[in-house]
Amino acid sequence: MADRRRINGPGGSTLPPVYDDTELDAVSLRQRAPDAIRPLYLKTGVTPSASGSAYLEIEPREGKHGSGMKLACTVHGPRSLPRSAPFSPYMVLSTHVKFAPFATKQRRGYLRDSSEKDLGTLLETALRGAMIADRWPKSGVDVVVTIIEGESTRQDAVERRVEEWDAMNVLGGCITVASAAIADAGIDCVDTVSGGVAALVADKDGGELSMVLDPVALEHESVLAACCVAYLPNRDEVTNLWFRGQLPSTGTHNYQTLVSKAVQASKGVHGLISASLSEVIENSQA
Amino acid sequence: MAAEAGLSRSTFAKLSPHPYLLANLEPSSDSAAPTRSNGRAPFEVRKPTVNLSSLSHAHGSALVRTGDTTVICGIRGETILTEHIPNYRASNTQTELSDYDLLVPNIELATGSAPQFLPGGPPTTLAQTLSTRIYSLLHSSKLLRAEDLRIWHKRSAEPAIPIPGDEEEVMEEQDGEPYVAAYWVLYIDIFFISFDGNPFDAAWAATVAALRDTKLPHARYDPDREMILCSRKDPRPLTVGSIPIACTAVIFTGNETKDQAPDGKFWLLADPDTLEESLCNETVTIVVDCAGGSRRILSISKHGGTAMTAKLLGSKDFLDWASKRWEDFALAITGTRL
Repeated sequence: MADRRRINGPGGSTLPPVYDDTELDAVSLRQRAPDAIRPLYLKTGVTPSASGSAYLEIEPREGKHGSGMKLACTVHGPRSLPRSAPFSPYMVLSTHVKFAPFATKQRRGYLRDSSEKDLGTLLETALRGAMIADRWPKSGVDVVVTIIEGESTRQDAVERRVEEWDAMNVLGGCITVASAAIADAGIDCVDTVSGGVAALVADKDGGELSMVLDPVALEHESVLAACCVAYLPNRDEVTNLWFRGQLPSTGTHNYQTLVSKAVQASKGVHGLISASLSEVIENSQA
Repeated sequence: MAAEAGLSRSTFAKLSPHPYLLANLEPSSDSAAPTRSNGRAPFEVRKPTVNLSSLSHAHGSALVRTGDTTVICGIRGETILTEHIPNYRASNTQTELSDYDLLVPNIELATGSAPQFLPGGPPTTLAQTLSTRIYSLLHSSKLLRAEDLRIWHKRSAEPAIPIPGDEEEVMEEQDGEPYVAAYWVLYIDIFFISFDGNPFDAAWAATVAALRDTKLPHARYDPDREMILCSRKDPRPLTVGSIPIACTAVIFTGNETKDQAPDGKFWLLADPDTLEESLCNETVTIVVDCAGGSRRILSISKHGGTAMTAKLLGSKDFLDWASKRWEDFALAITGTRL
């Protein structure tokens, strides 16, 4: 049954364009140092009617045809829960992550799919650990993240099945942007949480393994494992940890190292959030 | 007075919106010019800014900002084979766009763009209305040519191996005439990042700007695989000659309960924000295209209330305001390219 509340287009099935020539630019390899994260741009207050909002842009990979990530987040509340809701001594947090239809290589629908719901749940866990929820009983906060542009711009990404690794980068971005928006809304938190990603990658088939921060799956031959953490730097706590892939059981590349690398990445991102927020405060005082 | 009480403009506007707007529009002293709660003059609009091609996955995109209303429009082309179009007729060369539904605009407000638009539910009435208005204006304004969306194919003229008992098909195969094998379908997705009144003007400007930015790849039909193949080299822009622009104003009557004030006095507020939209019942939208110095009116719609008369709609002041607004938008849309 078609969604009658939207305009659905032609009755027959439409196909995204299939290209028969190769892409104009060659696959670029990672130019950054293994422990360097990509430059970020963060701005708060993009949606004045919301209690808090933020916009995050991660710069594209090296080369012209890469695409970065663009995320917008709005926070509404704290506001009273509807009368029908049961009593809650804490603030009720609800998160919502949605890809725009034009965000990825394949067109996304308007209804949330399971991967978006997953991201929403992971984001909720990450934020819940940082917020002081018992200061707002009987109230609710809505955090809405819209992904305007996701990664994996190239057809290769779909063919090589590396897009699943991009979900980690998306989650890391979601955590960072939501944290900035919550700070903009003035909701009490124990610390500003920030997201960081690290991965164990191989650059050549059967080649040496290495660990990198802020990985872009396309820049490497294969990704063996990746880890995304939501980290509170001032308290040295991890509120959410998402690990995926396989690690060799022996050697230096073990689980603890990967997690600590991800923590290192989120420390770098945290510096950016605090710089952006203090800039806002300085501007408002000036 | 407000300053003495230590209350800011926005606080007053929030506490008692209707009397505050009325008092501002009818200042007690002659020295003060009538203004609106947001500090603008009644006919003053928010300056639009347009940013093109900011999305890399879409074939065309535009970001339009007027004041605190921010809209992103991304256009993506997909192909549909004519054999998959249920009501396809080869003789139809006039109404393909609307008959086969080749344009698919959708508006999403539920991005938390304003407190009343939260995700989780079906699209609101406003979102559905806006989508439908954009859809009908796209078709009625004849902005796009069907030729840009056709994908032609020439049947091979080589004699096909005759299949006994299937004479008809053989005849067709020998025909070297080009025919339309498929169409491009344009998915026009309009996302509100921030919402502060006047959604239609911003959404429509974003649509027009994104269509002007759209470049579709070269496509051809591959009869062996029975599918459309595209080439990345030299994408072809759509032909969008005109720039129709929507201009919206609301009518404030100064009377909270009735449509019309007893003395018949009313104010026309151009490019309303959310607060003004909530105080006014009557809205007028005029879509104009003033390219080449002549003013063409593509659509006029007026809803609610009776204050706005036909005389005023045709008055020079009102139409000149629309032309001025067209110039602003046209400069913002085309200017960034030069």
